[in-house]
Amino acid sequence: MTDLLECRDCGHRTYYEKHRCLECGGAEFDAVPAGNGELLSVTTVHVTPEGVREPNALGLAAFPGGANVVAQLDEELSIGDEVRLVGDRELRVTEDGPLWGVRIAAAE
Amino acid sequence: MTAQKREARAVDASPVRGDSPAITGAGMTAFANADDRSLLELLLVAAERALDDADRDPAGVDSVHVGNMAAEAFNERSGLANALVGGLGMTGVTARRIENTSASGASAFQSAVAAVASGRSDRALAVGGEKMSAADTATATEIISRITHDREYEQGVTLPSFGGLAAAAYLRGSDADRRDLARVAVKNHANASSNEYAQFRKRIAVDDVLASPAVAEPLRLYDCCPTSDGAAAVLIESGPAESDDAVRVAACESATGTHAVADRADPLEIESVRTAGERAYDAAGFGADAVDIACIHDAFTILEWLEMEELGLAPAGRAWELTRDGETDLDGALPVNPGGGLKARGHPLGATGISQVIELVWQLRGDLPDERAVDGAARGLAVNVAGFGNNAVCTLLEGDA
Ligand SMILES: [Zn+2]
Repeated sequence: MTDLLECRDCGHRTYYEKHRCLECGGAEFDAVPAGNGELLSVTTVHVTPEGVREPNALGLAAFPGGANVVAQLDEELSIGDEVRLVGDRELRVTEDGPLWGVRIAAAE
Repeated sequence: MTAQKREARAVDASPVRGDSPAITGAGMTAFANADDRSLLELLLVAAERALDDADRDPAGVDSVHVGNMAAEAFNERSGLANALVGGLGMTGVTARRIENTSASGASAFQSAVAAVASGRSDRALAVGGEKMSAADTATATEIISRITHDREYEQGVTLPSFGGLAAAAYLRGSDADRRDLARVAVKNHANASSNEYAQFRKRIAVDDVLASPAVAEPLRLYDCCPTSDGAAAVLIESGPAESDDAVRVAACESATGTHAVADRADPLEIESVRTAGERAYDAAGFGADAVDIACIHDAFTILEWLEMEELGLAPAGRAWELTRDGETDLDGALPVNPGGGLKARGHPLGATGISQVIELVWQLRGDLPDERAVDGAARGLAVNVAGFGNNAVCTLLEGDA
């Protein structure tokens, strides 16, 4: 769950699944561990959709291979911090039950 | 457009007046927090006003292009284009709805311009509208957050969330301070105060912005556009224009960006806006230096700066200086959002892109009262953005100086 998708043709990585690689158009991806990244920005959102925690602290982090991720912060973090993805977090509740996914946490 | 065609147009840098489609009529409803009329009625009122302004009868129109994002969700209805032409007593025309989230209006305009430019249509009507008041705030937030990637959606990400992330990074990476960002909202409210079509006509101060509730830090409520009801319409005709009043469409170009915002190499870059702008300058045969007024998609204050920089209207990382120095004020060197922008004129999603075009038309024709007119404006730019840069449409208009 904390993996990224690496394009088999060009090596570019993304967190956002798609049919084709944005860099080269390649169609095959391998799951690879995200590793450690850097927190580029943070915000605390005070008006959130139903089923989402309020306030919702979010971060934008850059990981190796060109992959950026926007995700909930798992703890208090600042711009410039070294971070990693942690999985199995309950992110929001919908009519069909909870959605599980990753959050951003301090690197170990 | 093929690269080959683009090159050919760039070489011919002196477009012939009268050859491009021209806007011969413009009209809109006043934007409002809640308008009692139905979405269809709003579209009809705007369309009638544009036709009246052009002194044309519906019978003379051969295509209708309707911009709307989410009538199914907000108003539980579809089939807008057919209902609109029916209401105008038209049959036998080409009509369709165009959906491009918050840039639906400009996309409808682009479709109408293309219909005229290609010769398929002699007179095309572009009408955009949205009635968002029919849904409560939670529902509206949910509808709009549904445009995101599934991996964004599950995080509870909203459009203001991206605005907050971009604003935090921008303020950290430049010498701009939080008060400079507030000045964008202060300026746009001041511009709207004399615009009878604007949703907010109340002047605000920097301290009001800073005292408003936090939405997505560092952005506060007064950094964000409202939800709105309203509609706007323009009539586009093939040149040469019969009327001296006609405003020439020098270019209308669009470009997509990444769907997931974080898929961009730099979170402060909105490449869709940059690409749409470059294409528009190429097609028009003039560049950012020749632009006298601009209507920028300021859904959040930070977007006014980011988009100005992408469009070459400000040096990279320095749009905030223009705001601080008053250069973007109504009497500055480059007035930005003279009608109040999304922030204060309002943002009925499908209407916004066309309302930007209308503001430029009124300014270029010299129709406006002195207190809100930009003196001697000859060329205007409008940019309408879908989502947080999923897609952008850039329009360049030219009038008589
Ligand atoms: Zn690739």
